[in-house]
Amino acid sequence: MRATDNQGSFLNRISIRRNQVVSMDGNHEQELEDLELFQKHVADRFSDLLLPKPSSAGDSPSGADALLSIAWFRKLLDAFLCCEAEFKAVLVMGRDPAQFAKAPLDRLIPELLDRAVKALDVCNAITHGVEMLRQWKKLAQIAVTALEQRPIGEGQVRRAKKALTTLLTSMAFDEKESHHGKSTDRNCSFGRRGVAAANKDKTAGNCRLLSWNFAKSWSASKQIQAMSSNLIVPRGGEPTGLALPVYVMSTVLVFVMWALVAAIPCQERTGLPTHFPVPRQLGWAQPVIGLQEKIGEEWKKKEKKGTCGLLEEIQRMEKLSQGLVEFADGFQFPAETDDVAAMVAELAAICENMEEGLVPLQQQVREVFHRIVRSRAEVLDVLDQVGKLSTPVPY
Amino acid sequence: MGDVMEDLSSITPTNECEEHVFIAARHMLKALGASKNVSNDLRRLLADVDIHLSRRTNITETVLDGTREVEERLKLAQEKVMRWESNRSMIWASGHEEASEYLQAVYEIQRLMESLRSSPSSSSGKQKELLDRAHSVLQMAMERLELELLHILAQNKQSFEPEYVSFRSCEEDFVSDVSIVSTEDESIGDTSRRDSSGTESENHIVDLVHPDIISYIKSIANVMFASHYDQEFCHAFTNFWKDALDEYFFTLGIDKLSIEGLLKMEWNCLNCKINKWIRAVKFIIRVYLAGEKRLFDQVLGEFGSVYSTCFVEASKGSMLCMLNFGEAMAIGTRRPEKLFKLLDMYEVLADLLQDVDSLFSSEIGSFIRTEFHELLMKLGDTVRATFMEFGHEVALYPSTNPCNRGVVHPLTKYVMNYINVIVEYASSLNLLLGGVQDGAELVPFDQNISLDNFCPLAHHLRSLMSYLEHNLDKKSRLYKDSSLKHIFMMNNLYYMVQKVRVSKLVTLVGGEWIREYTAKFQNHATNYERGTWKPVLSLLMDDENKTRKSILKERYRSFNISFEEVYKNQTGWFIPDTELRKDLQISISQKVIHAYRTFIGKNSSVIDEKHIKYTADELENFLFDLFEGSPMRLHSIHKR
Repeated sequence: MRATDNQGSFLNRISIRRNQVVSMDGNHEQELEDLELFQKHVADRFSDLLLPKPSSAGDSPSGADALLSIAWFRKLLDAFLCCEAEFKAVLVMGRDPAQFAKAPLDRLIPELLDRAVKALDVCNAITHGVEMLRQWKKLAQIAVTALEQRPIGEGQVRRAKKALTTLLTSMAFDEKESHHGKSTDRNCSFGRRGVAAANKDKTAGNCRLLSWNFAKSWSASKQIQAMSSNLIVPRGGEPTGLALPVYVMSTVLVFVMWALVAAIPCQERTGLPTHFPVPRQLGWAQPVIGLQEKIGEEWKKKEKKGTCGLLEEIQRMEKLSQGLVEFADGFQFPAETDDVAAMVAELAAICENMEEGLVPLQQQVREVFHRIVRSRAEVLDVLDQVGKLSTPVPY
Repeated sequence: MGDVMEDLSSITPTNECEEHVFIAARHMLKALGASKNVSNDLRRLLADVDIHLSRRTNITETVLDGTREVEERLKLAQEKVMRWESNRSMIWASGHEEASEYLQAVYEIQRLMESLRSSPSSSSGKQKELLDRAHSVLQMAMERLELELLHILAQNKQSFEPEYVSFRSCEEDFVSDVSIVSTEDESIGDTSRRDSSGTESENHIVDLVHPDIISYIKSIANVMFASHYDQEFCHAFTNFWKDALDEYFFTLGIDKLSIEGLLKMEWNCLNCKINKWIRAVKFIIRVYLAGEKRLFDQVLGEFGSVYSTCFVEASKGSMLCMLNFGEAMAIGTRRPEKLFKLLDMYEVLADLLQDVDSLFSSEIGSFIRTEFHELLMKLGDTVRATFMEFGHEVALYPSTNPCNRGVVHPLTKYVMNYINVIVEYASSLNLLLGGVQDGAELVPFDQNISLDNFCPLAHHLRSLMSYLEHNLDKKSRLYKDSSLKHIFMMNNLYYMVQKVRVSKLVTLVGGEWIREYTAKFQNHATNYERGTWKPVLSLLMDDENKTRKSILKERYRSFNISFEEVYKNQTGWFIPDTELRKDLQISISQKVIHAYRTFIGKNSSVIDEKHIKYTADELENFLFDLFEGSPMRLHSIHKR
């Protein structure tokens, strides 16, 4: 199921049903069934993400939709959009708006809306981050262009090295200094030139690939922390069954945002939690926990060394770039170029992959953004109805 | 010139290297033929080419086969490139000759590389070595050119002073900080919302760099593209402008704020940011980006679609940032005070729609285009919802205490002034409100007027005013004194009619509405008179029976007491509008004085002059103290 289809307004349906008094029992049964299905679908979708179905050809570890690859994230966002659509149906459709004003929803819904707003900012930061990935891809592409030429001479090597150094500087910069926003004084590839020193302020722009899109104080890791801090497993005896789906969806939302922040360059990620508690006894939670553990492990491993993000393509790009710069440093003409050819081919493949995947990914992130906006508006509409119902109508 | 061109075009190049020169020369001649005048700079450049030609004639005529010769020429070019490697000054800043010589050297290297590659003995060791050397020199030159490019751009980037963009300082304006609760004054109505300043800067495109240096940038672009360093050029060029736009945002006072931050922001502060945003959006899209696109076209246009790709790359981030601000506004709370700012935002975006469509007409720009259209739609929805919400608030605005002295309620003032501003946005609102239910279920309002002839906005405004009327009616019930209730209603309805009559509203809601509401307030005036004065005047009425003296005297005394009572009460009431006050006073006076004179005249035998407390003239004067808003007592002032 593609997640892109327009969900339309659930409000229309609500207002039709608003005044119907449905017998509590029949409704309850239906509700439980919907809830069960919703959880099952969440579990199915995340199981797929945890253990991708083996495709026809033999899967390499860095196969098409390896964990944390661009393709994997596109699947993840699709899964999110599907879960979200279903959740909204469970939450809003056929629901008596008055329930929103009662415990526990009177507390859970505002929290949900608050999380939604935070997620919007994370989406924006990610959109920005994907833009940076596209820049990196362009630099890598330059290196590929240079090193694909035969024979490889010093000129090509220098050309590739210049691009890759800028790339690696930007990657390292992203990790170490990203939160210093406007600072432009970076170690750029022109540093060795006397002339560059004199014009540092003017040329630095070339090295500075992107500035962040929020005020300095904004921090992706803090957003994630704030989003997860009030995630509390509903107790068994909650008066309505709605506490659970709200919890499930919130967990999915936090997980998706968390994974995006871990993988894609993002403003201020230090202190990103490596996991947030999800109770194991809930069936749907198993694959989410599985994914969380895998990604959390990766993050722990990489965080110490400093990382430009766990995105599989970027990890490989970084490694290959380092390898190629090493090659460039020891280069003497004429050189043995077989190893290099393999590396270049891999880098070229990554570039192609990114070229194909990044723009759709960016659009999908934007779609998630718009979907969250729309759902938030629909929930607010319901709250609005509750508000108006509780105000005595004077005439 | 034409002759030369023909001469040249009839010659067939003999080898690949020459072919390049031919293409370049043809291109140049064509361009020269098309341009009307030749600047001195260009003349110098051409002379330079001439020198090169004379120097090279011998070489180009012979076929390049001698490796030695290639080596010599490479050495010469390399020297030219290397000379600048140790030089601290910038080439383009050192003069045109230096620059063109450098470019020539680079083209020469390209030519040599071509000939080395195509030469039959290209696999020989010497050839390979030379080619490698050429590559190295070319790489060096490319790095240098990139640096030169950035230097030229940085040096010649035009700055746009904030006053050029004519920013109005961030005064809080009118409705912004006024919540529905606290409007005592009438400041809303007389603010003209659109200020015309800045229009002159909106309608012309700016140059982002000094026009003279575009040829420099272009020469660098050409040589880098010819050397297959287009990726480097585009990367450097695009990033430069991306940063420039980013910095420009900063100059315009656009902070990068998170949606969460914007949603939590105080309205006054937000209002200020919206003002800045509106100006910035208009300027950036219509002036700045239009200029940027033109520059990209001038520099990169001849290389195909790359120019629009680069342009989108350079502007996408900032555009998204601007759009996100709009998104935040569209999802914010729907407070009535926000309506006008939302409308301003909506209108500015609607106005820029075509500009955005043409700026981002390319396939890669469709992302921005779609986002822009969607935001416009969302803002429209928010405007509509906010407008409807306003109606709701007007209908349900709570009544606690009766309005002192029966004056115009702040709500009436707020609503009417608000509506007066709304009219300014009539065309947008008609578009947005078309086909929307006006929420008539909220208040059953008079259906005896056919509404078919009215535009959607007029329809909604009529409902809005009928909500107001119903709410006022509810408020009027808080008065214990039913006469004061009528004065209150009269004051308020009269205020509404006046507000409509003196504004553009009149054409919108129509004369019929005015007549209807005039009748309403007049009705309240009549009811007031009936309520207050009928009992008082009844004391002066003739009885059929011959009235006994004592009763007549008693009645006269009662009249005086009643009159004094009314006087004491109603001098404290207030009719703010002088004309309305006078009208009512005259109307009362006509009835009262007439009755009084008749009574006194008829009964002069019983109530002789020494019993008369007030003369008719005195009484008439007292009546003119009514509704002045300062309570007075009669017996105190009448002690003479």
